[in-house]
Amino acid sequence: MTRAFAITLNALSLYAVALVLAVAFAAQLVLRELPCPLCLLQRLQFTVLAIGPVLNVRFGPRPSHYALSLLAAVAGAAFSTRQVLLHILPGDAGYGTALFGYHYYTWALIGFAAAIVLLAAMLLFDRQFERDAAAEQTAPGAFATTAVWLVIALTALNVVSTLLECGFGACADNPVVYELLKR
Amino acid sequence: MEFTALFLAVTIVMLVAWFGRRSLALALFAVVLVASVATYLHHATDALKLSF
Repeated sequence: MTRAFAITLNALSLYAVALVLAVAFAAQLVLRELPCPLCLLQRLQFTVLAIGPVLNVRFGPRPSHYALSLLAAVAGAAFSTRQVLLHILPGDAGYGTALFGYHYYTWALIGFAAAIVLLAAMLLFDRQFERDAAAEQTAPGAFATTAVWLVIALTALNVVSTLLECGFGACADNPVVYELLKR
Repeated sequence: MEFTALFLAVTIVMLVAWFGRRSLALALFAVVLVASVATYLHHATDALKLSF
């Protein structure tokens, strides 16, 4: 796998994270379901997961950048596993609306597990890590740059969203209204 | 509020990763990861309000 191809795959992974964040926002706005603290932590972990690919696009692929994403994915998998286990007993309806038969935290667990496997697979290809002075001077292309800014914008939107939802205090365990929009 | 701070911190780390020094981005990443795990542990030690 060449360095350029690895950067393209990293950009694609950023679009995948952007899709996850956009779907979470769509559920929040369309279904009017506010994310709980554990849900927000999982959403946060998807954004932390994106830092590795941003570094790969900016500085070129390095094993340490993939390691950052692996750490974020393992933490995210632990957070989502806890929420799955909280609602695993028979008779529990789960938190929020199910999407294609699974709740968001179950999809999050599947997503983090898939990320761990894909990151490990990416680390199998050594050629992407070969230093190339000419390539290092080349600025990232529009496809990768757009992916980076899309993820940054969606993360910044979450700053606004969580401020509206939680206000200046601790976030409610089972939020039903935006604290800063309450009349 | 803690989530607003965490998302803001991640936004800053991404901007540093894109515009700034790699070493600073790595250090800030570590801070954010520890903060997110600490937030998780804080919530995980709360009394559970189960829905059944």
